[in-house]
Amino acid sequence: MPEILAIKNLTKTFGNLTAVDSLSFDVQKGEILGMMGPNGAGKTTVFNLITGVYKPDSGKIIYEETDITHLSAAHRCRLGIGRTYQIPRPFENMTVFENLLVGAEYGANLKGREARQEATEILDFTGLLPKKDLFAGKLPLLDRKRLELSRALATKPRLLLIDEVAAGLTEVEIENLLQIVKAIQQRGITIIWVEHIMMMMNKGVDRLLVISGGKTLMCGDPKECMESKEVQEVYLGVEEG
Amino acid sequence: MELLRSRRFIGIILILLGLIALPYWASRYWILLVLLFSLNLALSQMWNLLAGYSGLISLGQQAFIGLGGYALAVFSVYYGFPIWLSIILGGTVSVLFALLISAPIFRMRGVYFAIGTWTVAETLRILFSNWKYVGYGMGLFVKPTYALSFNTIYFTALGAGVASVALVYFLLRSKLGLGLMAIRDEETASETLGVDIFRCKLCCFLISAGVTGAVSGVMYLHHIFIQPYSAFGIDWTVQMVFITIIGGIGTIEGPIIGSFLYVFLHQWLSEYPNVSLLILGSIAIGAILIAPKGIMGTVQEKLGFEFLSPRRK
Repeated sequence: MPEILAIKNLTKTFGNLTAVDSLSFDVQKGEILGMMGPNGAGKTTVFNLITGVYKPDSGKIIYEETDITHLSAAHRCRLGIGRTYQIPRPFENMTVFENLLVGAEYGANLKGREARQEATEILDFTGLLPKKDLFAGKLPLLDRKRLELSRALATKPRLLLIDEVAAGLTEVEIENLLQIVKAIQQRGITIIWVEHIMMMMNKGVDRLLVISGGKTLMCGDPKECMESKEVQEVYLGVEEG
Repeated sequence: MELLRSRRFIGIILILLGLIALPYWASRYWILLVLLFSLNLALSQMWNLLAGYSGLISLGQQAFIGLGGYALAVFSVYYGFPIWLSIILGGTVSVLFALLISAPIFRMRGVYFAIGTWTVAETLRILFSNWKYVGYGMGLFVKPTYALSFNTIYFTALGAGVASVALVYFLLRSKLGLGLMAIRDEETASETLGVDIFRCKLCCFLISAGVTGAVSGVMYLHHIFIQPYSAFGIDWTVQMVFITIIGGIGTIEGPIIGSFLYVFLHQWLSEYPNVSLLILGSIAIGAILIAPKGIMGTVQEKLGFEFLSPRRK
């Protein structure tokens, strides 16, 4: 499989804190790459660097064989990088449908009826269609998370970054979302997925990348990663001996 | 819904027909009031587009009022251009000037943007009052040779008012409007959904500058004189702010209601010149305290009523 994204020696510091420390990894086309790490490991910072919300201090981001390190966030979105936010950031005073239109018209550059069709189709896919005319600010948590996903999908991404979509949800809701994410992969979209919930990482991802302190701790088969002593130590806080 | 929409449509047509027919049945005083209403509406609608929809609180709209007015005087009097062409050129000059200052001014945000725009307008005022070509602080005659009929000026002003409302309405229902609303709600998220924030805001800034400049030309048609201290005075923007805040910032109907109230208050208060500003100021403060979203904003919130909705289905 060819790689869709390659991160090379990426570093980002905030004052004295090195959030991402010379991190390198790549993502294969079509896979779901899980990303784990304890709080403050730099997962969300990595997402912000890939999507262009932050600019790195050094290192390179290669997407579909193009260096995108210095492109704006909006530009990267138009190239096909979509994301969701850990804490949903809906456009609260706009309807659910309008939220998706933003993605479809700006991110995917669709016009008029095409954009409306795309938005309707995605809402149907994620199960939000009955709520399309509600204001996004009035949605409960599960629907906000769905909206995050739907809105990102409306930009027609080829690479989708999912940031803790399952946090704070019940088991049934999580199962439901897992199905949606799997179905997104079926559509040919490559996914990087950050999640804390072991079950989802076990079931949902093809490869797992574990980071700690902004560095790669381990990368490979999810089961192997989670069973490794190193990972358990850092992630679960298991004491040695 | 269809019925409601057609009723609303008929309502709008009837009001417009009434206003168009005004010169044939109303007194000159009433025509003048509607003329002032239309001009105020056009100007404050443009400020509303900036502050209410793009988050750009400008205190320098008078820069474009001055440029538009001077363009009318210079092009029509010095060069003998037709009046309408001069008005359009006034809009063009304003757009070009806005483009010129956009690079430095867009580096400032919030209150700094407000101060920045104000400073630009003050700079123009000082520049024009020291510029021989435009008659220093004495200013220029606007229309010594051609005098348009009062009715022509009225129709032009009415057209400008209606056009400004239509412009904002259709703008908000366009891709640009969608982007603006997204930026207003969640700036970071809008960017990661592909919205180019700088371009959206610049677009509004230029549109607002162009329309303000051209409308200023129409306004100066019924002035005899233009001079820098009044043309580039901040009073213009204060007036737009008052109208928009009272009527409801960030609503299309707000400036309509606001202009209506302003024109009547202004007429009524002209009988009490020594306290008029005091009263206007108190009303503004009262509105901000009691109904910070203005009349239309409060009505929409309480009743869910929107006459001209930018919503898309």
